[in-house]
Amino acid sequence: MTGPKNLVRLEDIRKSFNRNTVLQGITLELNESEVISIIGGNGAGKSTLMKILTGIYQPDAGTIEINGERANHLDPNAAHERGIYLVPQEPLLFPNMTVEQNLTIGFRKNKHGVKEESLKLIKELGWNLDLNRMAATLSIAEQQQLEIIKGLLRKSKVLILDEPTSTLTFSETEALFRVIEQLKNSGVGIFYITHRLDEVFQISTHAVILRDGQVTLKGKIEEFTKDMLIQGLLPAGSETEYKNQFERRAAERTGEEPILKVENIVGDGFMNISFEVYKGEVVGLAGLVGAGRTEIAEAIYGINRIQSGKVYLDGQDITHFSINETVNSGLAYIPEDRFLHGIFSIGSVRHNITAQLIKRHGFFTKKKAEEQAAIQYIDRLKIKVNSQDDEIKSLSGGNQQKTVIARALSMNPKLIIMDEPTRGIDAAARGDIYSIISELKSHGFSILLISSDLEEIERISDRIYAVYQGTCSVCLSLDEINAANVMKAAFGTYKGSDGAYG
Amino acid sequence: MLKKIPKWNLVLFVIIVLEILVFGMMNPRFWNTSILLNSFNDFVPIAIIGFFLTLVVITGGIDISGVSIIGLSSVVTGLLSQTAGLNIWAAVVCAVLTGGLCGLLNGVLIAYARVQAMVITLGGMLLYSGIAIVLVGLSGVSTYEGFTGFPESFGQMANGEILGLPNAVIIFFILFLIAYILLHRTRFGRYLYLTGINQNTAEYAGINTKRVMMTAYVLSGLSAGVAGVVLTSYLGSARSDYGAEYLMPILTVVVLGGTLITGGKGGVVGTALASILLGFMQIGLQMAGVATQYIGLATGVLLIVSVAFLGINPDFRLNVKRIITHKQNGG
Amino acid sequence: MEPMASMANIIKLREFRTFLFLILLFIIVGFMNPDYLSLQNIDKSLKSSLMYMVLAVGMTFVLLTGNLDISVGGTLGLTAAVCGTILRDGGSIFTAVIAAILIGAGIGLINGFGVIKLKISSFIMTLALLSITRVIQVMYTNGKWVENIPAHVKRLSNFEILGINVLTVIVILAVILVQVFLSKSSKGRYYNAIGDNVDGAVSLGIPVKRYIAYSFVISGICAALAGFIFVSQIGFVSTNAGVGMELTVIAACVLGGVSLSGGIGTVVGAALGAIILTSINSALVYMKVPAFWNDTISGSLLIIIVVMDALLAFNANKKAKKLRLNARVLQKEAQD
Repeated sequence: MTGPKNLVRLEDIRKSFNRNTVLQGITLELNESEVISIIGGNGAGKSTLMKILTGIYQPDAGTIEINGERANHLDPNAAHERGIYLVPQEPLLFPNMTVEQNLTIGFRKNKHGVKEESLKLIKELGWNLDLNRMAATLSIAEQQQLEIIKGLLRKSKVLILDEPTSTLTFSETEALFRVIEQLKNSGVGIFYITHRLDEVFQISTHAVILRDGQVTLKGKIEEFTKDMLIQGLLPAGSETEYKNQFERRAAERTGEEPILKVENIVGDGFMNISFEVYKGEVVGLAGLVGAGRTEIAEAIYGINRIQSGKVYLDGQDITHFSINETVNSGLAYIPEDRFLHGIFSIGSVRHNITAQLIKRHGFFTKKKAEEQAAIQYIDRLKIKVNSQDDEIKSLSGGNQQKTVIARALSMNPKLIIMDEPTRGIDAAARGDIYSIISELKSHGFSILLISSDLEEIERISDRIYAVYQGTCSVCLSLDEINAANVMKAAFGTYKGSDGAYG
Repeated sequence: MLKKIPKWNLVLFVIIVLEILVFGMMNPRFWNTSILLNSFNDFVPIAIIGFFLTLVVITGGIDISGVSIIGLSSVVTGLLSQTAGLNIWAAVVCAVLTGGLCGLLNGVLIAYARVQAMVITLGGMLLYSGIAIVLVGLSGVSTYEGFTGFPESFGQMANGEILGLPNAVIIFFILFLIAYILLHRTRFGRYLYLTGINQNTAEYAGINTKRVMMTAYVLSGLSAGVAGVVLTSYLGSARSDYGAEYLMPILTVVVLGGTLITGGKGGVVGTALASILLGFMQIGLQMAGVATQYIGLATGVLLIVSVAFLGINPDFRLNVKRIITHKQNGG
Repeated sequence: MEPMASMANIIKLREFRTFLFLILLFIIVGFMNPDYLSLQNIDKSLKSSLMYMVLAVGMTFVLLTGNLDISVGGTLGLTAAVCGTILRDGGSIFTAVIAAILIGAGIGLINGFGVIKLKISSFIMTLALLSITRVIQVMYTNGKWVENIPAHVKRLSNFEILGINVLTVIVILAVILVQVFLSKSSKGRYYNAIGDNVDGAVSLGIPVKRYIAYSFVISGICAALAGFIFVSQIGFVSTNAGVGMELTVIAACVLGGVSLSGGIGTVVGAALGAIILTSINSALVYMKVPAFWNDTISGSLLIIIVVMDALLAFNANKKAKKLRLNARVLQKEAQD
């Protein structure tokens, strides 16, 4: 046998959820002492791929080989035993146990040995983790560190780090990179999932770009430049069918009053945000997950407090309004997490549509009026149901989302904030939602669109503001909007339109 | 038309009919309408609390303090009318309001201080029955006999009848109607469901879920207050330990009625049917010569079987569906 | 382990606060009536809380996994009746204890089966079993009291060495041993882990369902042992032996810092909670306050303590979330 020892070989892995294809044939290899960066937008399939490798999901097709042996029917336990450890983005800790207990639980062997070893690791890493603290009191960065140590303690041969630095400070990141370097030298193979291109060049030996469930670029890091990676992330060609659906217009808004005016707001997760949305305009809020876009939207909508700054809706100061008041003043919000905040899962489609409308019906509910409203929106938004009494959870993701949109429209809002409106829904429904947006726009509704889908935000928006780590300093006007600029702005590297991609 | 009636309610209805048939065959006296109607007296306090506990359970909460509020409300009625000399009907109003106040305390702590409903109402259960015991203790009345000597008119409230219908039946239907309209015909009722299905989504839709939850507990407390008054009227004396053994049957009627213990689904029609079912079973077994103590066995088994059935049912259906679609894909 | 660090940790513990409260209770009542602090009274207070302590230990296992066991009162009553009958009819103490343990384990298994296999919420399942066991008790005893328990059984609970009740010492030692098991052994930690974060427990490969079943069996066995203590302490078994005890025990656990949502709490805390609840009773007597104030005081105490705990936890969570969000915001200084 020549060359480095092979640790993991994935061949033609396919996976779909409810006819929604997430992975369409991924082939990847990880050898000893390799750090493979996996880069891709939201919904590219990174997490799904890693969950398959750790046995949380089963692939629909394809083979997994670990250490040269075929591994069928992997489950989390078997994956652990074969030395694969995933450090999840949202740590799976026991909040009411101490750090030490979190580290030692699940080990059969001597607790004391494990403790000694963890102390040694913490010291090596230069991290400041007190073994006696409760996990609940740890910052998210410290929780992340704890998860990494858990993985290292298990002497894993394959370590998967899912955006580990998204919450680490600069020096903590440096310390982590030193660890990765050490691990690499000792033969461990690492999958490193990230959004940050700088890091890719700093630590990885290889880079893989995933887009729409396919590998679009793969190779040694020396062969790439940052621009090449950005190109790889961009959609191939522009054969998209909905391209011409949108009549976009440049802002000629001098003298016109904006529908939504956000002035220098500060809150938890964002700082000094200002932007405007005019009548009949679709404004995109681009950025990476965790950049603070949802926090901004939720603060405007009245879910979280705004510490300073002002928000005006159609001239009315709504800065400190409750949700109920912002809804009454003409604001609607389609939440990011549909299952958690958007739908009443075991409620009927009708009750989901009219959840807000019944407020206008007075003390008693009006069944006739509700049925009519439901019929109207099911018809207008082409929601596929057998009956309006169907439980919403029996619908496909796209139809669920349309129902949520129907609820928002039922209050006849002036501005709709749509947070990731097409996440997790199939292509056909996606097209439907784009037509809905386009129709709303032609009727003079204003839309604030939050999306991690580059293609989507680039093609639909009349203007784009980019949010990067809780700040918003870039505004792209219509003639500046192109995939490369949006991508750069989202990754915080946009330095004005240089025309290179325009 | 039949399609509109939820299946589970139909099942309950059929069981009630079977009960009447079977118990009647064992003892023909069971077919006597006046005996059946008068049996409402025995379970009307359970049903009253059950109706409004259903609202609480639909929001995803629980309230076990009702059983103590019965005793407290009874003692307040007795204390105010017999010792303090207040007009009996004024005392009744105060007693019901006391129940509401207890519910308010539960509701505020559960909805606004976000303490688990089970813990708060457990504490409430101790506290409210404790207060009732203290009131009896301070008033110097014998704990065993309680307050007695209520006016005739008060006794008539539960024991009398109008147009041949025992008042207990009428009280049953009035409170059922109130609960039914509140739950199924008003915006508040819808908010109860929406809050129970997903409190987050309800918040995002601009519903003041905390107020909705709190109101449900206040209503539950008020209903326990009413139940206490009705029981006092029926038995002719006011004691602090009334209702102590009702916890099991109250929860049984709600759960047996098809209301999901995790919230979001259910209704008072089921609760009403389940309480009639349970009440008839009790009197039926008694007439068949089964000792009262054994009825707990039937209730317990019924509870487990119905919940297991209700819980397994959707899974089972899903499995069947999966098998069918699998075959289609294969073929 | 460094003594200083462990000392600081003990003070931070929720159980320590419960313990302080208990001491405070004794000091205040003792101030008003010095007799309350007599060794005799303390011994008596402990003795009357033994049953609740044993029940609380079992209950804590169930609560830690995020479930609830309402059936313990019924189990206690039934096993007390069975033990009493065996002893009355001349059976040995050993037989009685074995019978009790078998009954308790059986009821626990049924509870576990219902919760895990039939997916019935533990509250409903154990409530149903509570009413079933009550009926079985009545059927078993024909609704009569079990009396004429031999004196040697009663002596068991009063056996003393150097003026200290031996049974009390055994129970306290057992509580400490169970605590050591729960917090030090790897299997013991599983109960906390399940209630703390089920997903995390599953991903570590902990057999969650099996451990939930164990917890019900343990609770059943503890209730059965408490039933035996009941027989030996009280000397007769009435038809409503154990009525309402389940709620007192849950109250004791909550008072001692065990969370009903699982993952938080210790058996030591729960046992302390049990002592507090029973001590209030005797405290009232020594303070010459009528005994009928008991429930009012216990109830308000419970509510005040849980509300305080909940508000503290809520604020801590809010602060953590805020910190987490703000950690993501770009630091201007770092960039320049």
